[in-house]
Amino acid sequence: MLKDNLGLTLCILIALASIGFALFSGDPYYVQVVIWVFTNAVLAVTLRFVLLIGELNIATAAFFGIGAYTTAVASTIMDWTFFASLLAAPVIAGIISALFGWITLRTKGPYFLLISFAFTEIVRLFYTKTEALGGNSGMIGMFPPMALNDYFPAIAVTILAAILFGLYAAERSNLGRVFKAIQNNEDIPRSVGLNVIGLKILCFVIASATVGLAGGVHAYTNSVIAPADFTYFVAVLALAYVKIGGEGHIAGPIIGATILTLAGQFLHSFGPYENIFYGAIIIGALLLVPGGIVGLGARFKTGKFMGRAER
Amino acid sequence: MELQVQLLMNTLQIGSVYVLFALGLTLIFGVMKIVNFAHGTFFTAAALIVSSVMIWGVDTAGIPIWFSYLIAFVLALLVVCVIGFVVYFFGFQHVLKDLNGSFILSIGLLLLLNGTYLLLYGGVPRSIPAVVPGNVTFLGASLTIQRLLLMIVAAIITIGLYLLVHRTKLGLSLRAVAEDQEAAMLQGIPYRRVALYGFLIGATLAACAGALMATVTPVTTVIGDDFLVKAFIIIIIGGLGSVLGAILGGLLIALIESFGGYYFDPSTATLAMFVLVIVLLIVRPQGILGHAER
Repeated sequence: MLKDNLGLTLCILIALASIGFALFSGDPYYVQVVIWVFTNAVLAVTLRFVLLIGELNIATAAFFGIGAYTTAVASTIMDWTFFASLLAAPVIAGIISALFGWITLRTKGPYFLLISFAFTEIVRLFYTKTEALGGNSGMIGMFPPMALNDYFPAIAVTILAAILFGLYAAERSNLGRVFKAIQNNEDIPRSVGLNVIGLKILCFVIASATVGLAGGVHAYTNSVIAPADFTYFVAVLALAYVKIGGEGHIAGPIIGATILTLAGQFLHSFGPYENIFYGAIIIGALLLVPGGIVGLGARFKTGKFMGRAER
Repeated sequence: MELQVQLLMNTLQIGSVYVLFALGLTLIFGVMKIVNFAHGTFFTAAALIVSSVMIWGVDTAGIPIWFSYLIAFVLALLVVCVIGFVVYFFGFQHVLKDLNGSFILSIGLLLLLNGTYLLLYGGVPRSIPAVVPGNVTFLGASLTIQRLLLMIVAAIITIGLYLLVHRTKLGLSLRAVAEDQEAAMLQGIPYRRVALYGFLIGATLAACAGALMATVTPVTTVIGDDFLVKAFIIIIIGGLGSVLGAILGGLLIALIESFGGYYFDPSTATLAMFVLVIVLLIVRPQGILGHAER
């Protein structure tokens, strides 16, 4: 327990240091990188949150986009205030995900995977064909109010870090345990009278609303959003973060997102080799280090360093 | 009337390629219980090889056009089989029946292979010369002979696969493994070998589709990706793992695309497909012909 608290304390310290860095660092590029790391960590953690009930949710990318577009519309077309437009993102993402989940979570495994994939691509198609949303070129002009401009990076990092801690708390709560029970064998929670479909939808809505909020933050961070930012590839990268960091613990996706986002900053100069490199890293991590970095640590601790870990 | 016949012809022509593509995907799912997101790369590889070999054969070596297409076709199937064997041997056989693991592996392969194609081939689309020139008129609708041949070849391959799955011993073991892998192993069916055969047949089907498609459309390094989303919709509609379902689903999706694309516009047609999927999921989550557990 003490050891766990130590880890949590460390995480809180890192989060506070990041907020401080965003507040006082003069270099906008590095501040931007810090926000990217946190955004990607949220994407990976929300993807893993739905993995708790055993479903691979490509629509993470779609709800990230829905959040970003909601905030953009609220801010530039409807002239809502900064915080109201940010708050609209998780609300709309949550409502749409509740509807989508109500229909699709009756299916499992490959069906859910494919339908969430198709949903992501079709939502993206919808943006490109809707003139009011800027079509292919997307939307521009989401700026935080002048008074908040200097503090915006710190606000963004604070929101994103709060999401991470919130999802950690949710996973550790009784609700999180029920989600894991559904993953192990959903007939058992059902046999004690739990509404399994309702709980699955709840898990899905929590993940989608939070990733929608991250999307809203993304809209303000970037000031420009386009349909091409929200392809299924966003979820694929998030999955790569989860796999490389390890899905056994919530720290895994965060570590994975940090490493790969920082590595990605160097890889941008690689041009066509970038995708090859990502592909090789994903395949290598899957086949050689099945438990990810967190899994490696756990194996090291238990002395079972040799041999394949459980996937 | 002419218009409807023309649209129906389009449907059959697009549909025949969709069917081949989706058949491979559904076969691989049935046998290995994995969703192969890298399936489009087999399609792309075949199309790229056909266009490269034909452009070389016709322009440089002066080989007759139909003969160089034949060489290109066979070569494309061989190369794709080799690629398929390599990715199965080093990758997929370690993630059999592991949905998440295989998804990640196939995404990794998708990035790796598409990146490699782009390096080797470049980003410029290339068209190949017409293998068989000329047009036929059918009930007032005009159709190039090339497209007619494409439909016929695709239909023959589809019938061949149907016979293979339903009339041969290999087909029987493929179906047995898809039904219940452990029971099949208890009957003495070598699961891993059957899985390899299923995977190679699936890859070859994608290669056939790619090699056929290269004759009627410009070839790029991402040509296979466009088919992936639609193929997924097709196999959800038809039922994962169902051969007949993939055929019906492929034709249905082509029908919506062809008619919806003409009377409304292509993106409305795509949205209509999605609505269809949603409605189907509410009514029958396992697909028209699927029998997966709910």
